[in-house]
Amino acid sequence: MASGAQAALRLSGIRKRFGAIVAVKDAALEVRVGAVHAIVGENGAGKSTLLKIGAGILAPDAGQIRVAGEEPPHYDARAAQALGIAMVQQHFALFGDLTVLENLILGAEPSRSAGRIDVAKARALATRALAGLGVTLALDAKVKELGVADKQRLEIVRALYREARVLILDEPTAILTPGEADALYVTLRRLATEGRAVVVVTHRLDEVAEHADVVTVMRRGETRGTRDVERGASVESLAAELVGGALPPEIAPAARELGEVRLDVRDLACGRALRGVSFDVRAGEIVGVAGVLGNGQSELVRVLGGLLAEDAGRVAAGSIEVVHEDRQSEGLVLDASVEDNLVLGELGSYTRRGVVDDDRVHATAVARIARFDVRPADPSLSARALSGGNQQKIVLGRALAREPHVLVVAHPTRGVDLLAARSIHEQLRAAAARGMALLVVSADLHELRQLADRILVMFRGQITATLPPTADDHAIGAAMLGGQTAASA
Amino acid sequence: MTSVAPTEGPSRRTEVLAVTSALLVAWIAFALLVWIYGESPLLMGRLLLDGTWGTAYGAGQVLFKATPLLCTGVAVEVGLRAGLFNIGAEGQLAVASVAVAVVGAHVGPLPSIVALPLLVLVAMAAGGAWAVLPALLRARFGAHEVIGTIMMNRIADAGIGALLGGGLAVAGSVRTANLAPSGELPRLDAVLPALHGSAASFALVLAVLLAFASEWALRRTRVGRELVLVGKNPIACAAARIPVPARLALALTLSGACAGLASAGTVLGYKGYYEMGLGAGAGFGGLAVALLGRGSAVGLVLAALFFGTLQQGGLAINAHVPREVMDVLVGVVILAVSLGDARVRRAAGRASLVAAT
Repeated sequence: MASGAQAALRLSGIRKRFGAIVAVKDAALEVRVGAVHAIVGENGAGKSTLLKIGAGILAPDAGQIRVAGEEPPHYDARAAQALGIAMVQQHFALFGDLTVLENLILGAEPSRSAGRIDVAKARALATRALAGLGVTLALDAKVKELGVADKQRLEIVRALYREARVLILDEPTAILTPGEADALYVTLRRLATEGRAVVVVTHRLDEVAEHADVVTVMRRGETRGTRDVERGASVESLAAELVGGALPPEIAPAARELGEVRLDVRDLACGRALRGVSFDVRAGEIVGVAGVLGNGQSELVRVLGGLLAEDAGRVAAGSIEVVHEDRQSEGLVLDASVEDNLVLGELGSYTRRGVVDDDRVHATAVARIARFDVRPADPSLSARALSGGNQQKIVLGRALAREPHVLVVAHPTRGVDLLAARSIHEQLRAAAARGMALLVVSADLHELRQLADRILVMFRGQITATLPPTADDHAIGAAMLGGQTAASA
Repeated sequence: MTSVAPTEGPSRRTEVLAVTSALLVAWIAFALLVWIYGESPLLMGRLLLDGTWGTAYGAGQVLFKATPLLCTGVAVEVGLRAGLFNIGAEGQLAVASVAVAVVGAHVGPLPSIVALPLLVLVAMAAGGAWAVLPALLRARFGAHEVIGTIMMNRIADAGIGALLGGGLAVAGSVRTANLAPSGELPRLDAVLPALHGSAASFALVLAVLLAFASEWALRRTRVGRELVLVGKNPIACAAARIPVPARLALALTLSGACAGLASAGTVLGYKGYYEMGLGAGAGFGGLAVALLGRGSAVGLVLAALFFGTLQQGGLAINAHVPREVMDVLVGVVILAVSLGDARVRRAAGRASLVAAT
């Protein structure tokens, strides 16, 4: 990669603090045209903050920002957009009730006289932007009816429609299946080849090894070096660099004794999403659920967690805890403290004659922070101030700490870094070893294979296959697409 | 600047900024209005202060005006904390006023020590009861509480008129019978002779107690804490098995009860009976108090005193400028301070604008 090429975006000496927390303390980043640039680092290392500064969404406390070699006099989100810098955040900024086309042109509508929108021209432009990306999206579909991967494509197309030359994506693959992630990288490569710069935050090192040209490692608010990625680079060497030492091997699952049935689901039905789902989970067992997004897994979790009422069927479980899919809206009260969140729904056990015993709540919160390694270890902080991975630790830790008979977890390590993911896996295995019955829904087949004793595959609201964890990607993938070839375990 | 990300709640600095800028805007609006009437803003400001805090009587009148405002301010605040916008304090106060006036007329056989606590309970129960229907509609069917409470305001208005006309009023009038003497709340001048002549009563003490008690309850009791959590994210609370509908219903009912207590200041401590229109406006004034009070008991007390000062001050300058100028000011302050109030935006619902993830 020619180092003499002009940097499309250059950040240096960036510093940013939120109240008492220093999110970024000394970061530099140089993004080149034509390259796919990966940013890796632990949860809370400052990746999102640094890139939000790059996209003008946050203002840095100190540091310099240069776009195409020039320092803009005034830099905010609007200025960044005008300079061709766009960011696709983890949480999409789309209007669910508007169509794909309306979302695309919103704020940049081609107009005719008297402020009327030139719909024909908008269509033509949108069609061109879509074709340029090599994706198809129905322009008149309501955005709320799109799948996650399509929403993400829409965000990217929207950036291109606004003539973005630097495209920043914050953990785009965290919500995608492996196939969708590969398709995304094909798109990103195409954009880079056409002369744009692409920046991708990811936790998956195999993606970096396979798809990135350049990688920058961040740790504790600092950028710790940038290097070119050679095709076929080893994931191990990247991992060592990432965690600042060799990665400990994942502990092999130990055989567990299975006990009595703890979760018994019979003929569960809910709208069109669940159409007669039956299975059971025994004490000490981890059952995985796989499926292409939108085949009823989300609804299954929501019914088990009481957020959705079933139409028919029966769920028999002892005490049950559910970690829902969207930790920010369903798992946490973001504007409440870490302490409040760690005991959410439990206040009854800390109450005497109606009054909460704050000392005991505090002691519990401090103990859980230590046990689940929530960082920063400050119970008074607002949950919003924590990184995604640490938010996940709160939600999962709260559920585990209650020692339920049954634990249902949706996407336990989505958007969580390597070390934290390992620690979460170990905690789930330990819980099973203690006799907890676990149901784990995940889009990550590798994760399911590592954790589960058996894998249920959901297709169109039904369980269509039960596979052993030794089944390969091909077998599971075929079952996920409704193939009837999968053998029963 | 568009770049300020909504990553943190409002800091103390932005709170102070919101309040001071609102007060500044109010002063400018006052100066403008007074100037339109051909008077000197500085002179009118001086008159306003002299007529309120300048004399013991004026100060007492401010306290009197602030009393119901503080109750309704607490009422709105309790609702806002749970994510609810109680627009119905007006009707809740009116219904409570009729209830205490009617019951109070019959407490003659009881000594004050029994009659007064009883009447306070009646006031709060009646105010709360008037909020129960919108509370249930909201909790059970998700019907927006703003619509529900507005509707109840109309029903209270029309219903009370019909009741008074239908025999509840003393013959030939639009007022209820006098309270029994044991049902009258003593005036503050009984212990502070300087306030002599002003209508400030021990209802003020009740109102201040209410403000601090509710702050304590929201912070320290299980139900209070859960109310606040529900106000911040009902979905996560439901997922954590907090009974969200029950908490919402309770919040709006308690809010109505607080509004009902305002009748202690108007009926029990002042008029001694209810007549059509008594206390009108205090319910809506409560919105202003809650918005300016910024979520603390001390803030609510100060805000109630501020608006009480405006009301009383309007009378002091009435000879030069119409006192309705003060109503305009109240509106200006509400607008200015609510611009920066995230809770208002949340409670009013940005429903369809949320991200489509």
